[in-house]
Amino acid sequence: MSFRGLFRRRVDDTRLEDELGFHLDRQIAENIAAGMNPAEAKYAALRTFGNPALVREQTRATWGWSKLESLAQDVRYTARALLRQTGFSATIVGTMALGIGAAAAMFTVVDHVLLRPVSYKDPSRLVVMQEGDPGGRQVWDLSWLDVSEWRHSARSFAQIAMLRHMSGRSYLEGQNAALEVTGMSVSANLFPVLGVEPQLGRGFVPEEPSFAQGKNAGSIVLSYPAWQEGFGGDKGIIGKTLKINTTTYTVVGVMPVGFEYPIGGKHAPEVWTAVSLAESDRKRDYTGMDFTVIARLAKGATVQSAQNEMSILQKRVAADYTDADLRKEHSTVKVQPLVNTLVTADVRRALIALLGASGVLWLIASLNVTNLLLARNMARQRETAMRVALGASRLRVVQQMLVEGFALNGTAALLGIGLAVASVSILARELSRTLPVPIPARPDGWILLALLGMTLLSTLVSTAWPAWLAARAPVEPALKQGGLQAGTTRRQHRVRGVLVAAEIAMSLCLLVVCGLLLRTIYTLRHVPLGFRTDHILVANLSIPAFHYDNQNIVTALYDPLLERVQHLHGVQNAGLMSEVPLGNTFRVQLGLRKNDSSMITGMLKPVSPEVQQIFGFKMAAGRFFDKTDTPTSQQAAIVNRAFAKIYAPNAQDPDSIVGTKFWSFKKNVETRIIGILDDQRQAQVSKDSQPEVEICLCQITPDSGIYNPSTVGMDLAVRTDRPTAEMIPELRDVLRQASPELGTATITTMDQIVEDSYGSQRLAAHLLEIFGGSALVLCMAGLYGLLAYLVSQRTRELGVRIALGARRGNLVWMVLRQAGVMLVAGIALGTGLAFAAGKLVDRFLYGVSAHDAWTLAAAPALLLAVGLLAAYLPARRAASVDPMEALRAE
Amino acid sequence: MGKPSDLVQGTLDLLILKTLLPEAMHGWAIAKRIQQISGEVLQVQQGSLYPALHRLEQQGWIKAKWQESETRRQAKFYALTAAGRKQLESETANWNRLSAAINLIVGEA
Repeated sequence: MSFRGLFRRRVDDTRLEDELGFHLDRQIAENIAAGMNPAEAKYAALRTFGNPALVREQTRATWGWSKLESLAQDVRYTARALLRQTGFSATIVGTMALGIGAAAAMFTVVDHVLLRPVSYKDPSRLVVMQEGDPGGRQVWDLSWLDVSEWRHSARSFAQIAMLRHMSGRSYLEGQNAALEVTGMSVSANLFPVLGVEPQLGRGFVPEEPSFAQGKNAGSIVLSYPAWQEGFGGDKGIIGKTLKINTTTYTVVGVMPVGFEYPIGGKHAPEVWTAVSLAESDRKRDYTGMDFTVIARLAKGATVQSAQNEMSILQKRVAADYTDADLRKEHSTVKVQPLVNTLVTADVRRALIALLGASGVLWLIASLNVTNLLLARNMARQRETAMRVALGASRLRVVQQMLVEGFALNGTAALLGIGLAVASVSILARELSRTLPVPIPARPDGWILLALLGMTLLSTLVSTAWPAWLAARAPVEPALKQGGLQAGTTRRQHRVRGVLVAAEIAMSLCLLVVCGLLLRTIYTLRHVPLGFRTDHILVANLSIPAFHYDNQNIVTALYDPLLERVQHLHGVQNAGLMSEVPLGNTFRVQLGLRKNDSSMITGMLKPVSPEVQQIFGFKMAAGRFFDKTDTPTSQQAAIVNRAFAKIYAPNAQDPDSIVGTKFWSFKKNVETRIIGILDDQRQAQVSKDSQPEVEICLCQITPDSGIYNPSTVGMDLAVRTDRPTAEMIPELRDVLRQASPELGTATITTMDQIVEDSYGSQRLAAHLLEIFGGSALVLCMAGLYGLLAYLVSQRTRELGVRIALGARRGNLVWMVLRQAGVMLVAGIALGTGLAFAAGKLVDRFLYGVSAHDAWTLAAAPALLLAVGLLAAYLPARRAASVDPMEALRAE
Repeated sequence: MGKPSDLVQGTLDLLILKTLLPEAMHGWAIAKRIQQISGEVLQVQQGSLYPALHRLEQQGWIKAKWQESETRRQAKFYALTAAGRKQLESETANWNRLSAAINLIVGEA
């Protein structure tokens, strides 16, 4: 009503004129009817009416502002009151900030990862397709022939796009030196399928992929980071040329900020060139299969209908395979929405669980604040009663409390968002390792909106009960009571007690889950890895193979590099492996078949002989590579135990595999197995070893079958005693001298790599530690607050008791007993909750059961101890009441 | 009436609400009615009626509507709302209590 008044001033003014005019006219008419003449009538009417202008002013003054005025009054009053009671306000603000901050941080993560992971148009209509065998194993890499068949026959898709990685590592020569990029060869319709247009340039010309040179040959589209880092954001980039490795391309487009496809994977900036089909694409065999497919559903199609069509279609496609194994492997197709593939189900569950945990923390904080507000309002009963007696409506009283609640929660929300931003930044490293989507630390529009909603919700939750009580409190009893010492009913105490017990129950739940995860981490850390991790620096190298096209990279790059590194001061040993254990950087998979059973994937690792000393690999049989292995000596291979168990000629004795023939890497030269490695953890600490085969770098020449994989990625492992901070710059220098592109390699310690491999459990454990710790603190604060208040309420009663002969000890016991009741009730309830929660986190646990007795006993014990500690101070205060003071006090 | 005072404002509200109880009226009619029913004792300062009416409208105890009056000219008619009815009851109760108390004291002396 008041806002309407603001805008309709003019109209209301005119109407007021009319109204007053009407009144005067009627009065004048009455006067004339009574016998006065017109002039007299007018004066008489004005006399009885008063000054019309004054009346007009007075009436206008009543318009529209009364509601706003009362609001302004309340705000001023609240500000004064809160600033005066700084301790109280700070406690509430701090408590709520914790709750809101935790919830905001988790919501940011969940929002970016689960709700809006991609910025494509209509992402729910995008699907990806994999082929697989009837048993459910899927492969991502598809052959052109299959894809073209789909494009020709499938009706469920509006468009099908495909892409594959450019071979080897790609280096962009831009203005600012060589920059490693992720090079993708894509079909021209990829960007239209994703629904995103370049921000500069026109992108690719629409055309079908073909074996001939297309219109898009030699064109390249840059991603935003590539454009910025390689060319400084040059606005005139369109039409300019650049080199990727040694090939020249012309820039035809730059994609907008934040656009990425494929998502996840390495964080090198992406560039896209047009796919051109090669001879290997005419066949359906392993060399020709490397396409990934993404499609947009046609209008009216659903994922299910597309899946049905593709299942039928694939039967026909699979029949075209000549190799029986391949046919089996590619006999089925799986269609699924893109968004489902970005995050594994595990991570999704973990995130939702953590969101739940943060919600619980928020709830605990809200309960705490409710309790504090209840206490404060009980103390202000008299003041409230006075206000009501003086004419304030109950609504007015509630309004004031809501304003107060909003002010407190609003401040807490501001603090909370700061906390959330800080914690996201601090945990950024962990997050980027576990999640495929980057989480920006700055809050954006949606987050702020969610925050506002949370603030309002907090306000309502924390002020609802106190406000309701205040609104219904009878006025006269409050006015009559003497002072603060009385006036709180048993029921109100019980309510507050119940709130505290609820807090305790929820905290126990959080603590138990936290404890379980911590124990998991502890167990993981004590799994024997199978190698040493101390004092080892690891540099992850992306090899610029294009520089060494006509040379043997082993003799031209690797050997001299190792020499130079070994001669650095303080280096005890240096070696190369394609991937250090748990490194997760670059892997070559071998498909191995034993007789006619199904294929097994094993890892193939080119290594230099020094790595055995650096990592302390143990040999179960035979020997490791050494100086006697050269390009001209017997080609040697080393396998691990997992491999030997499967392939040993004598199944009872795995060691018998030593000396047997292995798959030839060089034409017409046989390879023999010379040793068996003891198993190590390779990909994840919690997973068992996979079969692994190692080849010596020293025996690889350009005509070896595995020369090419050896020139893509290598880890340089350096054992050194010198401190990391000193070694790293020197190492980098040596790398840069060997080849400029290596200067930007990531260098870290083996210990850090092991830490990082613990993955999502660590992240979840960290977060739960924070939640659990906060919950504990909040519970302590809540319990302390309630008990302190109760004691202060009863000083008079306590004084009387002491005067009548009660011992101090009894009083302490009385307070502790009150605390004990709440603690026991809360713990009992909480144990039930913890049981349920344990089931939810079961899949994240390793080596410890969800109902682990030790944790379920330790957490309540901790809570009990903390609770009693919180009760101690009030108990002591109760005991030290001076009866004379108490009796005198009012 | 004599000098305006705080007490008078509250009472004016009560009078207005009571007058509107039977039917909706415009400002002039309210003034006349109060005068009439009180037996010419209460002559409301007509000018102070309108701020009171608008204030009561803001507070939601009466609602207004422009319609044709008995002289066939448009006038603003006020009517009691449900909240207004409740307010009238409580104000009447208060007034009775207050006046009874005052009576006791004045009656004593």
